[in-house]
Amino acid sequence: MKKSDIRVGVLRIEGTNCEQESYDAFKRLGANPEFVHLKQLLHIDCDKDEKRDVFDYQCLMIPGGFSAGDYIRAGAIFAARIKSKLGKDLEEFVKQEYPILGVCNGFQVLTELGLLPGLDVVMKSIPDACLSINDSNRFECRPTLLKHENNGKCVFTRRIPKGDIRLIPSAHAEGKLLFPLDEQELYLKKLDENDQIVFRYVNPDGEYAGYPWNPNGSIFNIAGVCNYIGNVFGMMPHPERVFYRFQHPDWTRSEFSNNVGDGRAVFESVLDYVCKKF
Amino acid sequence: MDLDRFFKKKNVDFDLYEIDLFSAYDHELLGISERMGLALNVDEMKRIRSYFKSKNRNPTDVELQALGQAWSEHCCYKSSKVPLQQYVFGIEKDRVVAREDAGVMEFDKDHYYCAALESHNHPSAVEPYGGAATGVGGIVRDVVCMGAQPIAYVDPLFFGPLDLPFEEVPRGTKHPIFLFKGVVDGIRDYGNRIGIPTLSGQVYFHRGYTGNCLVNVGCIGVMKKDELIHSRAKAPGNVYIYVGGKTGRDGIHGVTFASAELTDESEASSRSAVQVGDPITKEPLIHVTLECNRKGLLEGLKDFGGGGLSCVCGELAYEAGFGAEIHLDNVPLKEEGLSPWEIWVSESQERMMFLVKPENVDKVLHICKQWDVTAVPIGKVIKDKITRVYYKGVKILEMDMDFYTGGPVYDTCQRPYTVSKPYAMSDPDFKMPKLDDVLKQLLSSPNIASKEWVIRQYDHEVRGNTVIKPLQGKLGFESHGDATVLKPFENSFRGLAVTANVNPCFMERDPYWGACSAVDETCRNLVSVGAKPDALLDCLNFGNPEKPEKMGEFYEACRGLGDMARDLHLPFMSGNVSFYNESIKTAVPPTPTIMGIGIVKDIRKCVTSDFKKEGNPVYLVGKKTEKEMGGSEYYKIMDVDGGFVPKTDTKILKNCMRNILEAISKGFISACHDVSEGGIGVCLSEMCIGGDIGAVIDLTKIGEGLRSDFKLFSESNTRWVVEVKKTYKKDFEKLFKNRKNFFVYLGEVKNSTLVIRDNKKKIIDFKVDVLREHWSKTIWDFMG
Repeated sequence: MKKSDIRVGVLRIEGTNCEQESYDAFKRLGANPEFVHLKQLLHIDCDKDEKRDVFDYQCLMIPGGFSAGDYIRAGAIFAARIKSKLGKDLEEFVKQEYPILGVCNGFQVLTELGLLPGLDVVMKSIPDACLSINDSNRFECRPTLLKHENNGKCVFTRRIPKGDIRLIPSAHAEGKLLFPLDEQELYLKKLDENDQIVFRYVNPDGEYAGYPWNPNGSIFNIAGVCNYIGNVFGMMPHPERVFYRFQHPDWTRSEFSNNVGDGRAVFESVLDYVCKKF
Repeated sequence: MDLDRFFKKKNVDFDLYEIDLFSAYDHELLGISERMGLALNVDEMKRIRSYFKSKNRNPTDVELQALGQAWSEHCCYKSSKVPLQQYVFGIEKDRVVAREDAGVMEFDKDHYYCAALESHNHPSAVEPYGGAATGVGGIVRDVVCMGAQPIAYVDPLFFGPLDLPFEEVPRGTKHPIFLFKGVVDGIRDYGNRIGIPTLSGQVYFHRGYTGNCLVNVGCIGVMKKDELIHSRAKAPGNVYIYVGGKTGRDGIHGVTFASAELTDESEASSRSAVQVGDPITKEPLIHVTLECNRKGLLEGLKDFGGGGLSCVCGELAYEAGFGAEIHLDNVPLKEEGLSPWEIWVSESQERMMFLVKPENVDKVLHICKQWDVTAVPIGKVIKDKITRVYYKGVKILEMDMDFYTGGPVYDTCQRPYTVSKPYAMSDPDFKMPKLDDVLKQLLSSPNIASKEWVIRQYDHEVRGNTVIKPLQGKLGFESHGDATVLKPFENSFRGLAVTANVNPCFMERDPYWGACSAVDETCRNLVSVGAKPDALLDCLNFGNPEKPEKMGEFYEACRGLGDMARDLHLPFMSGNVSFYNESIKTAVPPTPTIMGIGIVKDIRKCVTSDFKKEGNPVYLVGKKTEKEMGGSEYYKIMDVDGGFVPKTDTKILKNCMRNILEAISKGFISACHDVSEGGIGVCLSEMCIGGDIGAVIDLTKIGEGLRSDFKLFSESNTRWVVEVKKTYKKDFEKLFKNRKNFFVYLGEVKNSTLVIRDNKKKIIDFKVDVLREHWSKTIWDFMG
């Protein structure tokens, strides 16, 4: 399909707050994004022309923020509201290989939904991972460097060469990826075998490093993972915040010829995928 | 005093009293005012009595409470009006598009920017987390209610010393560490949740803030020109729609609480004056408000600020020359059993008032419903200039607009003031200490040391507009920048630069030159990143205005701000006055926080403070370095009392701004940092730290005849250190020579050590790692 025909649903509820820049990222690349409030998908309190269906879109994005205040556990409330009514639709959406992106709070929501890490099933009934409180016990807003580890499964990073290091900033208080404690090794092994590990935190020398380069203490320095199909992708850092080079924290320190930021490829990759696939 | 006899319960099935002012003596009038928590004085009470005499009836408790709110210090600036009018108002007023809850200025031919700056001091001193959070929540409403999308927060904060021994914490006061942590937590949890980046601001520690910390909050927004909406009705018949959070007992008498000194009882007595913030009600409230406005559904818009419903209903109608009829029955409540006066004056957070044409009411309610935001029509604008309020069918308030909302005019009631001589002018003699020890001490002193602990807890990048961040430099080695730059619109490289400054140590010694210095520093900071100063905002935090010497400080500060702004053609687009920042033991140093906004023509030309490249020449640009050590960080460390506060010269400042901006736009400059606390020594250190690279510097030619320590640590105004790209060395020098702009070649960026010489003697020689070590740890050690 043509890029301009790709409808991207940028999902929001109260407390979602990175929707504008997420919307902009798709818009700048020529796709047709739209803000969609969860109530529009649930058909609550809306006029006829405001009602939406998951299958109106070829790509869904859950942006960052503090959905419903994140007062229970980050992403938990948003996930529960989605799952109660839209669980089946979403499962079908993923099975049909439409892509879903979750950034920051969106990653937390996808995890709470049981869509990630998605080792062998599309959607777990009970989440089997969580994004826990940062080791520092603080909100951390800082530049982070991500090494691309994926061999091609993840449809959101195919434009990024393996081994590339990208500057994509983090801003969160709960970003430490954890698996069931007695099965951590098993999970890591499976993720690796399935080519589901996408980004890992590194320092400027490209080494897997501790705080502050790993801002949250995430296991195996994982910053982003995809499901076993490769079409559901969650990451804590914000690619939409470095769409342009001028959004990088250190752009005044170097000469550069184009205004391409390190996060742009994530959006380009998925639009490529949808164009080819559907 | 037995006052019960003045309170007569009315024969209705809810709490309503008639207050018998007619038979009260003067001292009893004051007693009534105190008992009801009104903070009205005898003259004001008498004025109220004579008004109701003319109406042949006594007031209700609702009416008296409403007047207490409407007339309080906070609402109508009764002490500050005269000096503000004399010095500050009216400067460049034609450029200010609107001055309501927030000021509005032109950004480009299609857009305005909008900004407001306010204090939230007393609530934050009593309950730092809630006080700061609701401060942030309040200021964002000021910007939203002009129709603007908020895009940034700036929060200047002032606390007592972090190392204050616990036994010196006054009774009823909290330790500065607790307050600092609570305030930062509050700003973080609120600001991050509603998705507006906090671009830092200023954090300052001083003994004077021990009993009364200052929390100033600023917000900036942008809008299309046709989205500007005013806080006034358009026509009778406009419907008042109450939108947002519910009304409760939190935040009752916040206004009157802010208009009196703090005491050791304040916590117990005033806790209810601090509101409770709820960012997740606010976030959709912003969406709803902006969406309704963009769709052209709103006639007037105002946020609930001090005084709650009482002020918001009145002001919307009064500004347009109309009246209001309000029914309290429909106001959504947090709990049952609120008296009508409590509903009328509560300052519960997260509420907005829309004025809507009757035919648009349903459309507005629908949009609100989609976001699950409570919205209820509660009344209408009427032609007569009267406010009438009903509850359960009973009229509980009826007053003329001019009397009630117009308030008493205090222009003739000028508070007495005395201007004291600037404090301790002469410089005492002392032996020059070891300068490298002093530099280390300065770098680790809390007012200079890294504020990373604060900055990284705030999301300063959400919305993706922040193109120059608060921390600047090589990845992992960032240092403080002078200003932050936002690029608000997709199709334009035009940017907004933001900074906030004041030096309280200058202010307490010399409020006039201190205020001038604050404006000077604000301009310097904006120019450093490549922005032309465009407008100022002032948040004037002072002590008790009933004390003539405190009022004198206020006059002097206003005079300084006015003199500078007039010369520089910078309007004060918005501002706020906060008096009574005193507790039993201490008054705050006079603190006029100045927020500056600058316009960047092309953000691609912006410059940061970190040194970039080995071999680049380094210059000092600006006013001559003088022995102006009064209030300096150096004297503070040396425990020296004396010296002159740095003066300013707007002629030099204007010339420098023009030339530096030109050099930046031509691409000559690769790093620029203003010289402020800690002088050239600290300025160079920060540039080295951020760039993770050294420099070889010679100070011989600056301030001839000055002793090395004064050269290194003088805080003379209007100075910058700039790193120039090697290839542009000649062009840069030529530009500054032609413009008769004083500059000195200092040396070059080099190696990994900062070496400073004066008259052939090496006075500083530190590895950059060592500088960073001293600079970066202090705040973490207290707070981490």
